[in-house]
Amino acid sequence: MMAALQVRRAAIGLLAVVLLYGIAAQIAHGRLPDRIWMGAHYVDNIQLLPTWRSLAEEGAFLIESDILVSSVAVSTRRVLAGLLLGSVVGILLGLATGRARRLETVADPWVTFFRFTPALALLPLYVVWFGFGELSKVLLIASSVAVVTLLGAHHGVRAVPPVYLDAAASLGASPRLAFRKIVLPFALPHIFAGIRVGVGLAWVTIVVAELIDAKMPSLGYLLALSGAYPRVPTMLIALATVGALVLAFDLILLAVQSQATRWMRRTA
Amino acid sequence: MKQRSLLLWISSLVALLVAYTVVAGALRRPDILPTTPEILQTFGSLLVRGNPPPAGEMHHEHHQHQMRSSDQVDTLVQQGVTLQDALLVSTARVLFGLLVGLPLGILIGVLLGWSRRADDYLHSVYVLIRSVPPLAFITYIMLWLGHSEAHRLIPIVYAVAVTAVIPTYHAVRDVAGRYLVAARSLGARGRLLVTKVLLPAASPAVLGGLRYAVAIAWMTAVGAEMLMAENGMGNLLVGGGMWSSRMQTRSDPAVIIAGVITLAAAGWAMDALARMLTAHLTRWVR
Amino acid sequence: MTAPLLEALDVGYTYPGPMPTHALEGLSLSVKEGEFLALLGPVGCGKTTLLRMFAGFLRPTRGTVKCAGAPVDGPGWQRGYVLQEESIFPWMTVRENLEFGLLAKGKDPQARKVGSDEMLGLIGLSAFESAWPKELSAGMSKMVEVARVLATDPSVLLLDEPFGALDAQTRARMQDALARLWEQKRKTVVFVTHDAEEALYLADRIVVLSVRPGRVKAQFAVDLARPRTVETRFSAPFLALKRQVWEATSLHPSAEK
Repeated sequence: MMAALQVRRAAIGLLAVVLLYGIAAQIAHGRLPDRIWMGAHYVDNIQLLPTWRSLAEEGAFLIESDILVSSVAVSTRRVLAGLLLGSVVGILLGLATGRARRLETVADPWVTFFRFTPALALLPLYVVWFGFGELSKVLLIASSVAVVTLLGAHHGVRAVPPVYLDAAASLGASPRLAFRKIVLPFALPHIFAGIRVGVGLAWVTIVVAELIDAKMPSLGYLLALSGAYPRVPTMLIALATVGALVLAFDLILLAVQSQATRWMRRTA
Repeated sequence: MKQRSLLLWISSLVALLVAYTVVAGALRRPDILPTTPEILQTFGSLLVRGNPPPAGEMHHEHHQHQMRSSDQVDTLVQQGVTLQDALLVSTARVLFGLLVGLPLGILIGVLLGWSRRADDYLHSVYVLIRSVPPLAFITYIMLWLGHSEAHRLIPIVYAVAVTAVIPTYHAVRDVAGRYLVAARSLGARGRLLVTKVLLPAASPAVLGGLRYAVAIAWMTAVGAEMLMAENGMGNLLVGGGMWSSRMQTRSDPAVIIAGVITLAAAGWAMDALARMLTAHLTRWVR
Repeated sequence: MTAPLLEALDVGYTYPGPMPTHALEGLSLSVKEGEFLALLGPVGCGKTTLLRMFAGFLRPTRGTVKCAGAPVDGPGWQRGYVLQEESIFPWMTVRENLEFGLLAKGKDPQARKVGSDEMLGLIGLSAFESAWPKELSAGMSKMVEVARVLATDPSVLLLDEPFGALDAQTRARMQDALARLWEQKRKTVVFVTHDAEEALYLADRIVVLSVRPGRVKAQFAVDLARPRTVETRFSAPFLALKRQVWEATSLHPSAEK
């Protein structure tokens, strides 16, 4: 557990960032150019560094008008669906290829291909096949998540020290029992590591997909809209919201992971 | 045994190709699943710089012997886009991201891993910054820096740097300690301590993160190019120009598949290079 | 009588935290120049803490630690410290490891080669000069670590259970190698161990520490002739001393008397 000193220092660090930004924004207020060339025309009244005050006002507006909440709900739902689909497929395949050498060889060309394909490159293809809409977005997230969870589960199975399998076998455990009681617990940290990477990828993917197919309401839409006008406070609030969601997902996963792997010795 | 598994590997690949060829050939829907020869012809069209074939030729009887033509291919050919140019541009962006992002990430990782105090104060700040997906702030950078190369490169640099911090941090904090104690007891200080002890001790972990950094750099580069760039692989995939401006044009899956295959090959090649580099630099590891 | 080279004067060390641990309390100890001193005690008696203070990595929370009359102020090559964990630099060859201290001193390549040549000869590893540490056995690695420290010509060698992780036979071989090395160099040595036989075989004097807080519990002079051999290990004076030391270290009440 974190000591009181560390909590205090972390708080000071975060507070310093908040203050520094506030000071920078106050200094920038009225000094930074508020007229920006947008490639084809000028746009006026741009606050490149909005003050905390205008951020708070904008945030209040976005929450009151339900835009932010519904955007978060829509994007989160897509990420969750893709994450669930992708990790179930990925983990099952990874466990299978980890167990069966021959299957691994058969699957290897496919896995290698998808592993080195940036998942975002599949987006145009999914759009051709399934059109813009929920299906192509969820599938895109699932594709990027499946690859990393597959690798995580595969390496997890392979990381099981053979001595434990030997010990289990000599105690009379069936392969089924050994898989459930030995292989799975050992693979779990690797699987979680894969899912954590997958969460990061899922959010990168969904933001790009929603930026391209900007439709009400979604966080990507909010980013695209505030970029088109442009309206910086909205943009920064959308950015911070995405960041907070990524962080929240990661923290939840960490908590679940440390619960599931509490038998392992923790290094401080 | 080795030979048998190689055989299995190759037959799996061949089976995949044959299955695709049969299915696509039976389906006869090039707008959904282009046939294998069509994909190969697309490769041909994209590799040759030149004028689009005259209209109508596509409907000629022997169209298999000609280069493939479609809305997307025509647009690309008109713009003078070739596969090799696009790949070169994207590779350059990825390399720039690695060359700038890795040292930056390593620097931050060393700072946080080395100084307990810096870690206490700044780790939570780092975690907050890390949580923002790189491609989300691309429009914000554009407001600051205008429509330029910078807003394609900065997300890549950022993605790579953020990725490189954690392995460096753990290596410096957890692995390097005893070597640093031994070296200081031998009288080493300052630069010698950093270059001869700290960085080598951290290098296996840093290089382990390199492979992931390469993958994330490609992902970010393609995403940035799809969103806003006039060139590169991401741009080729969406058929030239920014996607949002040409949503009406029908995409050609053959171009996308050719692009995806190229990207997979490029990613694999760069990963192989990273693996070779790692193997050479960490040949001392037990 | 010569002035002590290394001194701990009424030293105490408390590890901070929600439940402070008093590792050492009111410990005084002095080491003469050229002496081979063994610090003997069970796990958790603060042997390593004391050694780290001598090395300059820990500052006593009470009392002072002096080397050659001056208070110890941070680590330095004058007090060569060999950690309990393996700390040979795995990314350097054996020779580069041996030359590292000389490099830190700013010696030129010629002088570094002369120094490392001598050490390679002393530990009999000339054939392994360009080997990676991964190609060495654990015992050999440890000898390289000892020689690496010796190469800088320190005034004290601080060795923390250097052979703790080795099997009994390798251990005996390494003890012989260390004894030969010491007989040639006659450096002042502080040797931490939990093995009474090892302490007897190597040291001129044994200091037994008590557990938490660590204090000097007993001292033994080991007046056995050098060079010591296998015969020494089974000689009557050795075994008699071993019994005394064993009784001093044992926590059993009957032996306490």
